[in-house]
Amino acid sequence: MPDADPILLELYRHRFEGVADEMGGTLQRTSYSPNIKERLDFSCAVFDADGRLVAQAAHIPVHLGAMPASVAAALDAVNRWRPGDIVVLNDPYEGGTHLPDVTMVSPVFVDDGEAPTFFVASRAHHADVGGMTPGSLPLAHELVQEGLVIPPVKLYEDGTPNEALMRLLLRNVRTPAERRGDLAAQRAAHAVGTRRLQELAQENGVEEVAAYARHLQTYSERRVREALADWPAGRYTFEDTLELADDTTATICVTATVDGDGVAFDFEGTDAADDGNLNAVLPITESACYYVVQGLVEGEMPVNAGSLVPVSVTAPEGTLVNADPPHAVAGGNVETSQRIVDTVLGALAPARPERVPAAGQGTMNNLTIGGTRPDGSSFAYYETIAGGMGAGPDGDGLGGVHVHMTNTLNTPVEALEQSYPFRVTTYRLRDGSGGPGSHCGGDGLVREYELLTPVTVTMLSTRRSEGPWGRDGGKRGAPGRNVLVHPDGEEETLPAHFSRRLPEGSRLRVETPGGGGCGTGPQRE
Amino acid sequence: MAASSSSPVGVDVGGTFTDFVVVTDDGLQVHKQPTTRPQHEAVVRGLDEMAGADDVPVVHGTTTATNALLERRGATTALVTTEGFADVLTIGRQNRPDLYDLQPSRPAPLVPENRRHEVPERLSEEGEVLTPLDEEAVRRVAATITEQEIDSVAVVFLFSYRNSDHEARAAEILRDELPPTVSITRSSTLLPEYREYERTATTVVNAYVRPQVARYLDRLDEALGARSVRVMQSNGGTIGLDTAAEEAARLALSGPAGGVVGALGVARRALDADAPQIMTLDMGGTSADVALCDGAVPRTTEHTIADLPLRLPSTDIHTVGAGGGSIAHVDAGGSLRVGPESAGAEPGPVCYGRGGAEPTVTDAHLVLGRLAPEHVLGGDDTLDMAPEAARNAVGGLGQQIDRSPEETALGILQVANATMERALRRVSVERGHDPRDCTLVPFGGAGPLHAVELAEALGMRRVLVPPAPGVLSALGLLMADVVYDTARAVLTPAETLADDPVPLTAARDAAAADVRSVLNTHGTPDLALEVDLRYEGQSYELSVPLDAPVTEAAVQDAVYAFHERHRDRYGHADPDEPVEVVALRVRGRVAVPPPELPREPETDTPLADARLGTRPVRFDADGATDTPTYDRTALHHGHTFDGPAILHQYDTTIVVPPGWHARIDARQNVRIER
Repeated sequence: MPDADPILLELYRHRFEGVADEMGGTLQRTSYSPNIKERLDFSCAVFDADGRLVAQAAHIPVHLGAMPASVAAALDAVNRWRPGDIVVLNDPYEGGTHLPDVTMVSPVFVDDGEAPTFFVASRAHHADVGGMTPGSLPLAHELVQEGLVIPPVKLYEDGTPNEALMRLLLRNVRTPAERRGDLAAQRAAHAVGTRRLQELAQENGVEEVAAYARHLQTYSERRVREALADWPAGRYTFEDTLELADDTTATICVTATVDGDGVAFDFEGTDAADDGNLNAVLPITESACYYVVQGLVEGEMPVNAGSLVPVSVTAPEGTLVNADPPHAVAGGNVETSQRIVDTVLGALAPARPERVPAAGQGTMNNLTIGGTRPDGSSFAYYETIAGGMGAGPDGDGLGGVHVHMTNTLNTPVEALEQSYPFRVTTYRLRDGSGGPGSHCGGDGLVREYELLTPVTVTMLSTRRSEGPWGRDGGKRGAPGRNVLVHPDGEEETLPAHFSRRLPEGSRLRVETPGGGGCGTGPQRE
Repeated sequence: MAASSSSPVGVDVGGTFTDFVVVTDDGLQVHKQPTTRPQHEAVVRGLDEMAGADDVPVVHGTTTATNALLERRGATTALVTTEGFADVLTIGRQNRPDLYDLQPSRPAPLVPENRRHEVPERLSEEGEVLTPLDEEAVRRVAATITEQEIDSVAVVFLFSYRNSDHEARAAEILRDELPPTVSITRSSTLLPEYREYERTATTVVNAYVRPQVARYLDRLDEALGARSVRVMQSNGGTIGLDTAAEEAARLALSGPAGGVVGALGVARRALDADAPQIMTLDMGGTSADVALCDGAVPRTTEHTIADLPLRLPSTDIHTVGAGGGSIAHVDAGGSLRVGPESAGAEPGPVCYGRGGAEPTVTDAHLVLGRLAPEHVLGGDDTLDMAPEAARNAVGGLGQQIDRSPEETALGILQVANATMERALRRVSVERGHDPRDCTLVPFGGAGPLHAVELAEALGMRRVLVPPAPGVLSALGLLMADVVYDTARAVLTPAETLADDPVPLTAARDAAAADVRSVLNTHGTPDLALEVDLRYEGQSYELSVPLDAPVTEAAVQDAVYAFHERHRDRYGHADPDEPVEVVALRVRGRVAVPPPELPREPETDTPLADARLGTRPVRFDADGATDTPTYDRTALHHGHTFDGPAILHQYDTTIVVPPGWHARIDARQNVRIER
């Protein structure tokens, strides 16, 4: 392959990113789930003929390593691709991460080619995919309890929908009309992406377009390697913990080996997979590591398969960070992923002391409220609640913000109360919860709900027993709290994880963790 | 060539110059003044120098509101809000701006914590009172606000779009208790729509800029004596001074609006179409604004300014960091990047000879011969051009990537164009439009340099360059009608309203009364109704027209139009799904007689009279082509020629590449087609 032209390289960066952007814009606008539309919990990406990432519209870091795994699983599952095929999947043990994240993968054929030249993929957090509780993030013990498991299968073949499969899917979820709308939205995004890639190939020749997909990967790999070469070589180890559903604590351990222009993360020493759902499949662990490296590397650069090459991730099978079937995984994606980031950042702090912040809230405070409205219709509402960001060497941490592996939007109170039988009575910064230090951690939030009908509340949260760690002499942020205020006013502290039927008139108050403080200079609080 | 005494003057304040435009029988009369702070000094000086009658009406585009926000120099502002929700403004949507920034900072909120005051009160989503307003608490807050020496107060309660009683009462108490100089903005009058963060932010923005804008407009009004003044708003319409002062947030995004109105007005006349499909490209020194007009100025309520959402209707413009001053560099991975860093006006491109050392887009044009040293952007005759320095800077960059200065310069333009192409695609393709059906209207100092190549990349067949691209925004001011928009939250299933449209007619009546009372000094407005519809459960709306009178049939027609628009825009529609009416929008418009852009008869002067000469210009890697250059002011109706050609004029340069054909029309536009 001839060398890349520096000008065409930049032109193609715009072009491929433009395709992913246009897909993302289409998906956001056409979807039904608030998770996708309002909270932007989705990603769209372009892959080359070998299933290597070319460009991804940056929305959710946890999808970084997970999208390539989906495409790899789809490629394994399909012998022969035809135009108009769309594979759908959510099986965490075959290309997925947790069940609500439903991924579509489809081929892009150019010029009557025999084989696909590109693939496009989209992943979106659907509001419900069945299982034990509305919202499909139950406190389960095995995968099949969590919802409908979809291995990589063709939902569209030759452009024709597999109606039998569609009926089966929709029969197994709580809100079928919404699911159908979201799947249609993903398909619309694929149509846009396919058309744009075909136009690019027609305008510029398929060889050039394919060649520059590879050039961009080489480019990103070179950029990341150059950045890693500045890191001091060494082995850096760190441990952190998270609470499990049975009130025990598990340890995540990582050793980062910086050597030349690469970095290897090995999670040897991490506890075995959990009987609950805090299990992360390996693509999540990879996503967390890629995220940290992206955050620590200077300068803006395109994220693609090349930028992932210098980073290797290994973890013993059957652990919390490389779970095996039939373990439940709902919390691995949202909670364990956060702790993996904290652990990896902790390990790299000595290597990049000027860039690594203290631990942020380290949880997404996943709250699902489900039940029946007074008019008899059922509902399922899922949201994640922001908290404090860790302070860094440069300054205080932000308060009331999502950290690391998620960046989803909140649902406006005025939208939520219009649709669901509960009210938000307080939504405020949690004063003083950020960890002290010469730079303070960001404050967590207080969000209190008043329940107007009996509902089932499911909470998946961590950093409830011990707050996020400080750095360089900074103190811990305040741990989070889940508080039930009974109708008679009595307060009861609930555990980090619970699923509980609550009567009308109860209030649930979630206090999210503050970020850790940083620095031994004059202390502030 | 004095203007007739009634011809209004368009006065548009830009970063460097304040532009003045009058349409006379002979064409456009253009004047420039260096922009001053406060802005009215340049306005007054310019009007004096133009020596028109002293009662000539003025239509004004001002950046006072925008600058107050961008520079965070607005009023000391307080927020009074529902108990439990004082931090809505800080929390925002709880997301962070950059995914991978591990140590982000964010600008301090416009209202710091100690000036955000909660009062007990609460409404339900239906507007029923759950907790009555604690009037004593409001009085206590008033006392605190008085001590805090606050200039401006925003009052925002949850669900006030359903029932404004609490906000109205709280504002009344504050009015009684606070010094008369303190201004009070209520969310239920400014933006009676749902989503508390966006409504709060918009209301706070208004409170924050209002005192400064009011002061400025006051001084302007006084300085202009007998002249009447209207001011441009973000929505592309103008408004009187009183409303502009009270609802100053309506001016926050007005800067680019004039240009889009001007481009559409020019295109309407040139293409002899009421509703031409155009894309606008306003390229200046640091950035490029693009917009798609499907026969009308595009509007959105999803704009942000200074990192805050502004939910008042604004001209729907997408901005990217590509301008004449955008700096080119080779990044660590060996890729040629252009922008978003810009050399701006100071020091400016290398060729300005003011100390700029890094090659810019303007320098690339110079290296390729598309710009000539004596015709560089902006018409600033104080510049002492340094073409050799520009060539050396571009050449230096070329050495890093093993390319000749010319190849590098071509690359710089291609990369800058890729950024703009992406923006043009985004505003068209994503909204279900095909750029190939559009005419591209470039303006700003640099737009006409890039437009034809962009049109080529997008498969467009026609570019229309207005007569004075550098002052199109000022011309647009003269083409803008008097407009006032307001809305009411509805949040009711369409099916319910199709059975009984009374809630909708009630909302229409209330909104229409507001519109009429704002516009009554300008005339009787034409009212246009729109409804924001969505499929139930969706959280994004599409606006479709609603016919008056508001009958069952009108509601059904709107629902039908919604399905169609949903299909156009998103590729699918589901006529069986229930549809919800989220909001009713009322736009009042008092038409302003558009300036009659004079037509000139077909010329009989030979084209050669406009010819400046020939110089080698590069359009591609194959080498330079001897290219005729023309003085645009000497080109007249009926002149036609094929590309390549370069047209120079005072405030811009137009590039007509090979394969394109140019013709001057009766209104002095250059039509470039293939």
